[in-house]
Amino acid sequence: MTTVGLSGIRKTFGSTVALADFSLSISSGELVCLLGPSGCGKTTALRILAGLERADAGEVWVDGVDISVDPPERRGFGMVFQDYSLFPNMTARQNIEFGLKVKRKPAKERAKTVDRMVEITALGEHAAKYPHQLSGGQKQRVALARAIATSPRVLLLDEPLSALDAKVRESLRDEIRRLQLEIGVTTVFVTHDQHEALAIADRVGVMSNGRLEQLAHPRELYEAPANAFVAGFIGSANRLPASSEADDRWRVLGRSVAATGVVSAPSVLAVVRPEQVAVEEDGPSRVVSTSFLGPITRVTVQDPQAGTVVADIMSVDADWIRPGSSVRIRLRDDVERVLLIDGS
Amino acid sequence: MDPLMTASRKGFVLRWGFLILVAAYFVVPMLAMARFAFQNVPTALLTRDNVFADWSISGLLTALSNPKIVSSASISFWIAVFAIALNFALLVPLAIVTEVRSPRLRPALTALTLVPWVVPPIALVVGVATTFRAAAPWFLGNTLCLVPFYALWAMPFTYRVLDAGLQAINARTLYEAARGLGASLWTVIFRVLLPNMRAAMVAAAMLTVALVLGEYAFASLLLKSTLPTEMVVYEGRDPRGALALALFVMVITALCLGVVVRLIRRRGVSITVTGF
Repeated sequence: MTTVGLSGIRKTFGSTVALADFSLSISSGELVCLLGPSGCGKTTALRILAGLERADAGEVWVDGVDISVDPPERRGFGMVFQDYSLFPNMTARQNIEFGLKVKRKPAKERAKTVDRMVEITALGEHAAKYPHQLSGGQKQRVALARAIATSPRVLLLDEPLSALDAKVRESLRDEIRRLQLEIGVTTVFVTHDQHEALAIADRVGVMSNGRLEQLAHPRELYEAPANAFVAGFIGSANRLPASSEADDRWRVLGRSVAATGVVSAPSVLAVVRPEQVAVEEDGPSRVVSTSFLGPITRVTVQDPQAGTVVADIMSVDADWIRPGSSVRIRLRDDVERVLLIDGS
Repeated sequence: MDPLMTASRKGFVLRWGFLILVAAYFVVPMLAMARFAFQNVPTALLTRDNVFADWSISGLLTALSNPKIVSSASISFWIAVFAIALNFALLVPLAIVTEVRSPRLRPALTALTLVPWVVPPIALVVGVATTFRAAAPWFLGNTLCLVPFYALWAMPFTYRVLDAGLQAINARTLYEAARGLGASLWTVIFRVLLPNMRAAMVAAAMLTVALVLGEYAFASLLLKSTLPTEMVVYEGRDPRGALALALFVMVITALCLGVVVRLIRRRGVSITVTGF
């Protein structure tokens, strides 16, 4: 079992700072997703872990041992790329076998391992085909099998699902998680898709501008975002005016709640999720539009004080809401705490 | 009539008209050449009666059995082989290392490999000849002294075709994937990159053969006997046989280039050659 991490990593490309004092520690058998918009440094962090880039400063370590200067072939990590990067001159089987051959494993052992990999990735008869005869999802399964065939200490996945269509993406996502749990390999998964990250990760690290904004369990990330960036990036959020009351409590959409975050700025906004807003009949606000999203209906309301507010209502309760309806919005009763951000 | 139909028909006529015009520009002189080379009729005027009369390839056979033509063809063949070997030895490692290790150097290298075409052959030959005649006279005495000249002359497209081949297989990620699996640089080159560059290498080789079969300036200036220079000499003796031979070489060259096109199109891999 392997723990792996980066400490105090700095990396610049010309005048662009890709990573600024970046640290991350991953426990044994854990799946951590690095999530962020493009250019946030998540792929650079992964490539430094893999040894494909050298950091300007800082340390890469595995089980407490500094491996910063080790070349990729000596790290014993498995890696899966967005564009599959299968060797076109080899069949799926030969691709999976490549790492074992390089490591000079005996032929019998190689055949046994490859058979097992073909089985757990459900490649079946596709194992004898060449990459150009496989679909995107099959190619990525071969790439995954190739990466785990050598029993890597750490598995690194660089946007492995981005080139696939939605349906394949979802099933392969679940398959990756199942395999990862089955073999218990410590895994870092880079993605820009928050649904992907929230669905499979033990912990998600949200990144922006070369920094780790928050590293937490998916649910904590959603319910207690550390700052405005995380709140805005994960799920959708309203930014509503908040006024200070006695005993460190704040008034948001007509209700008094506790708060975390910035409280000293001259103008303060509360981050409120659409599902935390209740819509009631008759009031000073007006419904601008509604969109039916299956189980929920998203209602956009123009409020004289709060401005434009988005609310998610269970569709079964939203029959009466029409564009133009007069409504009253308020914070739902079960909301106890909101995040405050600097609104100036 | 539907104005859209008229427009598309106009486009059709224009397209095909232009294509036929361009084709005629190439084909008519070649047909005239073929007739001169292969038809044994005394009159130059083409009539309905003589169009199919007395065609024969005897001129070509005579030319092909001329010992000087045969020996110069074999010289040209070996020069092509050595030029290809020299270029591959220099450019394959260069293109691979640039692509996988320092891709930022690619634009500089693309520009640098174009330099041989900026220097006119006469300047190159005069410069080299002056230097070597003083320093190493034996070098210019050997027919194989043409090899480095042809290698240099073929360098621009050899490098571009190899580079395009590497781009087409995404060599950089293949390299990274293989390194991650524990492979050394040599293993990556011999087991992963070279097998996938075969099409590009054959294409580069064929283009070099086509170049050697048509190059006259270097050989003539250095007073060497290659197939093109020997064909010019032979023309003085037997113009029709020489022309038949020229057509024959042209067909071989066209076949070489046909192989290139096929290889480049194979498996739907599109190779974009930059810098031309």
